[in-house]
Amino acid sequence: MSDAATPGAPVDPEPAARTPFDEHYERYRATPDPWQELAKLEYGADRSYATTVAGLINNAEPAQRAGMEKKLLAVLIRSDCTAAARAFVCQMLARIGTAACVPALAALLRDAATADDARFALETLPDPAVDAALRDALSSLAGPAKAGLIGSIAIRNDKAALPALQSIAQDAAEPALVRETAARAVARLNRPAATS
Amino acid sequence: MSATSSLSRRTFLRHSALASAAVAFPAVLPARLFGQHAPSKQIAVGIIGVGGIAQIHIDTLLRFSEVRIIAVCDVDRTHRELAVQKINAYYENQDCAQHADFRELNRRPDLDAVWVCTPDHWHALPAIDAVRHGKDVYVEKPLTLTIREGRELVQAVQQHQRIAQVGTQQRSARNFHDVAEFIRNDGLGTLERIEVLIPANNKYCGATWQPEPVPAGLDWDFWLGPAPWSPYTRQGCHYNFRYNRNYAAGQVTNWGAHYIDIVQWALGMDRSGPVEVSGHGEYPTSGLFTTATKVDFTCRYANGRSFRCRTRYDGVYDGNLRFYGARGWLDISRNALRASDRNLLREVAARDKKIQLPSSANHHDNFLQCIRSRQQPISDIETGHRTTTACNIGELAMLLGRRLKWDPVKEEFVNDPVANRLRQRAMRAPWSLV
Repeated sequence: MSDAATPGAPVDPEPAARTPFDEHYERYRATPDPWQELAKLEYGADRSYATTVAGLINNAEPAQRAGMEKKLLAVLIRSDCTAAARAFVCQMLARIGTAACVPALAALLRDAATADDARFALETLPDPAVDAALRDALSSLAGPAKAGLIGSIAIRNDKAALPALQSIAQDAAEPALVRETAARAVARLNRPAATS
Repeated sequence: MSATSSLSRRTFLRHSALASAAVAFPAVLPARLFGQHAPSKQIAVGIIGVGGIAQIHIDTLLRFSEVRIIAVCDVDRTHRELAVQKINAYYENQDCAQHADFRELNRRPDLDAVWVCTPDHWHALPAIDAVRHGKDVYVEKPLTLTIREGRELVQAVQQHQRIAQVGTQQRSARNFHDVAEFIRNDGLGTLERIEVLIPANNKYCGATWQPEPVPAGLDWDFWLGPAPWSPYTRQGCHYNFRYNRNYAAGQVTNWGAHYIDIVQWALGMDRSGPVEVSGHGEYPTSGLFTTATKVDFTCRYANGRSFRCRTRYDGVYDGNLRFYGARGWLDISRNALRASDRNLLREVAARDKKIQLPSSANHHDNFLQCIRSRQQPISDIETGHRTTTACNIGELAMLLGRRLKWDPVKEEFVNDPVANRLRQRAMRAPWSLV
């Protein structure tokens, strides 16, 4: 029997109050919400709720993706969101994220502990807001995390970052890893468009 | 009624359990490589990643008198030390150096060529770094993990004018060459369809797994490299990495890289690829392994030809390729060549076909000769990239569960922004393609 109302059937304008049977039956009818369960994901544990979410995202019609992006962001800001869940959410945002997710990810981007997750979401997102967020994070990160960030900026071919990258490449205070990555990024961004 | 060819070259080196990716290389080496005919200048080789597949490369390269393996690199000390022991024992000295960081190896001025035998997620970066530092490279298949990485590697090889051979060594096997050449010459008449079989994922694990202590001598953070962070677990590391989408794409790229490569060759698509792909895959819903356990996708080319790639379940750990045409069928795998008619086998073996494909009798030797001649090898870098791309778009069509249109010129999906984002992945810091 379907959960949905029969098409064409009269609709009760004032649904009846819940009965003791309704309360009793709801305990059988309810199943976990994979979007809620997702926040508890742990490395090595059952990941079937995450798989369900990934399947929903992969199969979503374009019009459904914005709603799913909101659900992913809701997981991301939960206080009990695990590291594994955060990484998974960011990898899903890499597929369907829009400018709407950039503010939340920009906050993660400025913390070295979560910057990689944020870049996994942002690097493939074609929106100018991403480039601005990546450039802004340059002053927040250091060492390997900063080198990774520079890599994302260059892969996105963000020529507006050139002045900042040129400065980093010549900054003796930066570690060699960062300076060298910045120098390669500058060379890449300066090369002719046909090879970018 | 079908006919089976007695293989003119039962020359495959071995089917090692250690290297059950089933890479097999011709055992017969050219006589010119030994003794008085050996070239005077040896080619100094370094090997990055000396796990399972590298054992076969080491065994093969040691038999080339024109080669000297002078350095190896691995993030696992056990792999490094065992490789050095083997090499030094063969050369009867203690000269082989070991490195834990590929960047050190690539910067050695005494190296001519580098073999990249790392897990798939670690193919692009060491190879690009090697060509930037003037080394010719042999890169194991599949060429790269993502389509973007593949294009970046092709550009780096071209920019630095290096020689690059991809480890799709079936191109150096006579029967595969002859079949591809026969198909290219329309030997079967109008080609109706092509069936590709690849082995099933041959490893299974439960729905959960336990993080484990990292073994002494293994630099787990370096092993993960550009891939998303994950705790160590034994089955998620050596060999079985290929069943995790963070590091590989399962049998689609493991075996597809060999057999779809022959399809691309036979159809003359080494500089192009399919224009449409659709299919269905079954992926584990939980557990450590995340690549498809059941593969079934079909790629169509602009000229109307197509191939279907499926998982085989008969337990044979080899691929299989069958061409159907107006004149019958041809069926080839690593140990058999069969046809619907014995006459077809004679025609396949004939040397007088109108269109002649490049030929190579030995994949390693072909690369070594090209290092000296600066000619393109039999499995050049663009060819390897296009084959890997055909595999990857098939995998993505299964992952997304929808028909995808592919533009092989722009190397992008048509009107599918989600699929296009999956052509590339960000890399964990500090790694990047920059």
